[in-house]
Amino acid sequence: MRLTLYTFLALLFFTTASAQNHTISGTIIEKDNGMPIPGANIIVKNTNNGVVSDFDGLFTINEVPNGATLQFSYVGFVTYEVVINKSTTLNIQLETDVASLDEVVVIGYGSQKLSKVSGSVSKVDSESIETLKPVRVEEALQSSATGINVVSNGSPGKSPAISIRGVVSAQGSSPLVVVDGVIQGIDDLNTLNPSDVESINVLKDAALTAIYGVKGGNGVIVVTTKSGKKNQKVTVNFDSSYGVQEVIRQVDVLNASEYAAILNEASVASGGDIIFPDLSTIGKGTNWQDEVIETAAIQSHNISVSGGSEKISYFFSGGFLGQDGVVGGNDKSYFDRTSLSGRINADLSDKFKLIVNTNYANIKDKSLSENNIGSVLSNALNFDPMVNPYNSDGSFGISETITQEIINPLTQLDNTYNEGNTNKITGKLELQYKILDNVKLTSRFGYNYVDVYTKNFTPLVYYGVGHNGTTANPDLSPIITTDAETGEETSTHNRVSESNTNYFSYTYELFGNYDFNLINENHNFETVLGLSLSRNSGENITANAQDIPFNSWSYADVSAATGDNASQTSGSWQYLNKNMSYFGRLNYDFNNKYLVSILGRYDGSSTFGDNNRYGLFYAASLGWVASNEDFFNSEIIDFLKIRGSYGATGSDNLGDNADAQFSSINTFPQYTFDGNIVSGSTLGSIPNPDLSWETQKQLNAGFDIRMFTNKISMSADYYQKDVVDLIFRPSPSLYLGDIAAPSGNVGASKTNGVDISLGYNNEFSDDFSFSTNINFTTVNTEVTKVDNGGADFVLGAGYGIPYTIISRFEEGETPWYFYGYQTDGIFQTQEEIDTHATQTGAQPGDIRFADINGDGVINDEDRTNIGNPFPDFTFGWNASINYKNIDFNIGTYASIGNDIYRAYERNSTYTNRFASTLDRWTGPGTSDSEPRVTFEDTNNNTRASDRYIEDGSFFKIKNLQLGYTIPNVPGISKLRLYAQVKNVYTFTKYSGYDPEISSGSVSDTGVDRGTYPIPRIWSVGLNVNF
Amino acid sequence: MKILKNSVLPFMLIFLALGCSDYLDVEPTDTHEIEDSVYFQQEADYQAAVIGTYDPLQWMYLNTLIGDIASDNSLCGGESATDVIGLQQIDDMTHNPNNDNLTNLWKWCYEGVNRANYLEENKTKLDFDGKEALYGEVYFLRAYYYFELVKFFGDVPVFVDRRLDASDSGNIPRSPKADVYTQIETDLRDAIAVLPTTQSQSGRVTKYAAQALLGKAYLYQEKFPEAATTLNNVIGAFTLVDDFESQFLKSGENGIESVFEVQYTNTSEWYDWDYVPQGTEGNFGIIHNGPRADIAGYARGWAFNVPTQDLYDAYDSEDTRREATILTYSGDASSLAGYEQTGYFNHKYIPRAGESGAQTELNYLNNYRAIRYADVLLMAAEANARGNISDGLAQQYLNEVRRRAFGDLDHDITSSGNTLVQAIWNERKLELAMEGHRFFDLVRTGEAASTINGFTTNKHEVFPIPQLERDISGITQNEGY
Repeated sequence: MRLTLYTFLALLFFTTASAQNHTISGTIIEKDNGMPIPGANIIVKNTNNGVVSDFDGLFTINEVPNGATLQFSYVGFVTYEVVINKSTTLNIQLETDVASLDEVVVIGYGSQKLSKVSGSVSKVDSESIETLKPVRVEEALQSSATGINVVSNGSPGKSPAISIRGVVSAQGSSPLVVVDGVIQGIDDLNTLNPSDVESINVLKDAALTAIYGVKGGNGVIVVTTKSGKKNQKVTVNFDSSYGVQEVIRQVDVLNASEYAAILNEASVASGGDIIFPDLSTIGKGTNWQDEVIETAAIQSHNISVSGGSEKISYFFSGGFLGQDGVVGGNDKSYFDRTSLSGRINADLSDKFKLIVNTNYANIKDKSLSENNIGSVLSNALNFDPMVNPYNSDGSFGISETITQEIINPLTQLDNTYNEGNTNKITGKLELQYKILDNVKLTSRFGYNYVDVYTKNFTPLVYYGVGHNGTTANPDLSPIITTDAETGEETSTHNRVSESNTNYFSYTYELFGNYDFNLINENHNFETVLGLSLSRNSGENITANAQDIPFNSWSYADVSAATGDNASQTSGSWQYLNKNMSYFGRLNYDFNNKYLVSILGRYDGSSTFGDNNRYGLFYAASLGWVASNEDFFNSEIIDFLKIRGSYGATGSDNLGDNADAQFSSINTFPQYTFDGNIVSGSTLGSIPNPDLSWETQKQLNAGFDIRMFTNKISMSADYYQKDVVDLIFRPSPSLYLGDIAAPSGNVGASKTNGVDISLGYNNEFSDDFSFSTNINFTTVNTEVTKVDNGGADFVLGAGYGIPYTIISRFEEGETPWYFYGYQTDGIFQTQEEIDTHATQTGAQPGDIRFADINGDGVINDEDRTNIGNPFPDFTFGWNASINYKNIDFNIGTYASIGNDIYRAYERNSTYTNRFASTLDRWTGPGTSDSEPRVTFEDTNNNTRASDRYIEDGSFFKIKNLQLGYTIPNVPGISKLRLYAQVKNVYTFTKYSGYDPEISSGSVSDTGVDRGTYPIPRIWSVGLNVNF
Repeated sequence: MKILKNSVLPFMLIFLALGCSDYLDVEPTDTHEIEDSVYFQQEADYQAAVIGTYDPLQWMYLNTLIGDIASDNSLCGGESATDVIGLQQIDDMTHNPNNDNLTNLWKWCYEGVNRANYLEENKTKLDFDGKEALYGEVYFLRAYYYFELVKFFGDVPVFVDRRLDASDSGNIPRSPKADVYTQIETDLRDAIAVLPTTQSQSGRVTKYAAQALLGKAYLYQEKFPEAATTLNNVIGAFTLVDDFESQFLKSGENGIESVFEVQYTNTSEWYDWDYVPQGTEGNFGIIHNGPRADIAGYARGWAFNVPTQDLYDAYDSEDTRREATILTYSGDASSLAGYEQTGYFNHKYIPRAGESGAQTELNYLNNYRAIRYADVLLMAAEANARGNISDGLAQQYLNEVRRRAFGDLDHDITSSGNTLVQAIWNERKLELAMEGHRFFDLVRTGEAASTINGFTTNKHEVFPIPQLERDISGITQNEGY
């Protein structure tokens, strides 16, 4: 039998044989971790003579005849046999049964042996997660799963942008997250302690996702957390690590003397005077990036206790993770998560089983302005390098020339005061009732309660006289002005805002599983039928007050504010939506050879229009395990399965703000009569009664193969997704005014791609094992229809002042492609301008824009596709080596073909410039890419164009880890020390901090407005098992 | 099997029960929303919706700024050549369809139109005393917004029956300019028929305001007899203030010369950047006009919209309007940080010390004197002169304005015919400078090309339709853009 090849035995020592009957004693342990196995069966083969191992895995069996076979077995392990010819002590190591344990995947409302699954699933186990030590569990999916695109976010604790099998929709592509059967959102993963996770399954095709119906269309991430085992001794696991984070790249900006020289040239070019006559005394000035970026700490400590008796098993854990920000340091930017979780599985009787999961998490965080023109990094990149960070009196340096928007980033950091405190309880109560051996009824109540408190303090600030951000005198006292005419005084105020938001959602599910087989156990059926009810709600209340004593964060609270009643304002909002669904599935196999699965879900959702509340989603799949055929007789191939599926799933992508369900009145409008403010109203929202779900029809074909005694494995899938009725909130005609247009079903897209994973795994000897895998993913999406009023596109991300929209979701294009002018070198001479299409305002040294439509005029009609923020393909490569007590892991990730739009350049008269300016055009033949410098950009060289597009392809060494397990420590079953470097190095041509650019929203991908860089982390840690 | 039956039965029952129940129903009251079906059931709802229709008037600061920046009266100014690039381009006559400022202006005017139309849509739901007069205000406001649109963009989409919804997006073509004016005239005539001549609250529209605006709309179409007749209703209903400058002070707000005034106050608690200009109740235009220097009695501003030397020189030294219109910075002009600085500032709408609110820049209380009686007199004069109705009346109205400016009778104009028309136009420049009228006066009188540097005939008479609107709605562009 092939599986026995994995079986392993270590016989430690022998004693001499006695006469006819022997007495055998010893211990049974797990080979993987040396843990004793209680409750294992030891039996003399083909007899009734048997015993069970005790809590320490110890056993003694008497009366074993000479020459008899002794059998050691335990669920989930490969059975081991030994022929006895003397009395002895045996130390038995049982090998985990890969076929029985690893290959069970949790699918919706049940689990299935992987060998019987005819859909497409990508599995990440706890080892991959433990190796990576991610802050958020999604990180582990990046290089270890196929078919999923994860763009990391460098900001402490912030969510990455995730899409499974492409960005098929304009409104969002967030997958559904199911934690231990409880439906959650992707944002909820921030409270999940990664070290509690047992496995993550990414369900990709309709055969697996259709059971989740209207929520399953963007794929499903199924998280299973760790739990205790029955009859298991108390096990304690402690893991602790500490690390330092650093930013490894800087953006090349001009130093002070370069800046001064460029400003002189720009001034002269626009008819002005030399601004800085003497460049020699200026020097290098201030590098603002050095001022705001620092090294910061990261630490993680987790402890868990698990165990079980005959009837009850349990798992409890506690964890703390603290990540400080590399921008601004731990005063202003951090993410601290404390988590506690407990799971209890109890057999109440033979029939009833109770499962209780409870997870509590607390997050405390502070954050900075990020990824916008006013962010700390944007200020650091654009602020005047001639200003000193501090004046001689210790106050912050001030620019005399920059009087709006851009400020000294240190002043900004100093004036940033906020805090967030999130408490979250999530879990489930599940009662299973075994009606018959093969009929089980499950009643599950899953809940998620989140309480988010935030406070934001806006102190009185001074950015210089006349700066439009200044609200205070230089001594930070309020600016008091007296009306010359009336003598009335007005004063500036500091201000505090406190906000409390509660989210509560529950899902109640009732379903029955009935498994049976017919005709000599050849025809196997697994069925499930059930219903689900869920309710999601949220409510917020916000209070604002002004005049905080001493302009101090210490007193920044509504309760301490001294402003009058009129200045205390408040607001609130709430939402509510409900779902009701029925679902069912039939899995059938004939002798484990021919697999059929049929499933469906009938879903109702209150978020849809009155006319379209219910939808039916369905899928069917077929599989053929060729290697189980009698005629299949290969020495090389151990397992081969060919599978295909087709089905329809839905998506209720309504974005973060659920769509308007009603036409409601907005009472915010105000006007002034007689000098007094009076309240008015107008229509605030309009619903779309026809709003319906997106329907994704997906075809999947693939195979799984294992070869060379399971050393090599491969899974490959090809898929096609046709999405119709794409939901998005259209950009309506501006003549509709300000009202928010409701979402509509007005588009379609087609996606295809390939997911391939390839693994190699070999134990060369007791001391040396090696495993590696490569995950390869391609996605091609074309938007096939957009009917946005008169337009065939929706507008996406924008940047800068004036605000310029750069990405579009447009018919006939890839999703969220970059839209702008195409540059065609630099005009070297007036003659070149004259012979080119009419380009208003162009002078020699300005950018020549391509006349795309050939009408002889350069205007908006010439804008075109200038880049694609999404990669052509991604791959992850991971490897691990174990040699004696040393283990080594490497994880890498590459994204090829994605473009980045550089959107952090402010391009104002006195703001700093970037190093490329040094290669500017200064006369014919000097440059054909970088335009002249001038204060009066008559040619609008800074318009959105491919000048700002860069190739964002990269190859990243994400993780290196070296561990050493100290053997034979008394009282400790395992003690391992390790050192780790994360985000070791990035190979890329991109000139910014990091080519992975995400603000959490897929439509924002690749737009770099000064994104928080992803830090390199050096850390050390230890792992102890008792 | 009994146990199976016992457990499956309730299971089935739950299925059935839920199948018939209204589990999915969510009521507007669950989230405390006022659904529009329960609105307009009391007079107060109508009153509130009318206030909502006035609200966009406060966002029209750009309309005023552009009226002078685009003309020969002022330069854009600002911190640097890139400061509010959209306005810089308009000043230089290099503006293109991608202009944030014009896009906002377009959208805000249409928000006003839609709010008025929402009242039209609900007009028949309830009857109450004073409803007709209240709708007179609504029709005036709709005409006001359409008049801004037609002034700026020429042909624009026109719709009046209801607030548009998503199904209308991209489905409404531009109406010819003449049709836009027809709608404006209709609305104003309807308003005049029902509006009272005085209102209990200052800031509300009166019959006179509607007549003045209708007269203006006629004048813009060169319908001189209609203009003269209509404006004649307003003549005598107001008085010029003695001291020209006084009407631009806080104490001069809603004074005897004020025909229609957009109201602002500095007392809003929604005063910060997040709410500009739509949420605050302050006049966001004012800060733009302030000097980037400390001048006693005034507050610092952003040094936009700076009057030109030519404008200063256009005034007779005895003209009291010169100092009232233009604030001269007596300090060293070269020390003024900023772009295109002339040393002059818009004195009519300038940040005065202490008149903003808690956010010192954004909340100026200065009302915008949208229609002054002096404007009415000069329009009436022009209608009479150009319509060959009565040069005598034209002179009378013109000289009423000049006598106030000079404080004597020595500067009366006695010319007639074309010379008189030129004198009236010149008087409009001097009297109404820096109030946002100049560019549109130059365009409608055909003087723009000879007066404004860079002005291209058959192009710059109107501004480009915002590119965003064209992209979305597929409507046509104005000629030359």
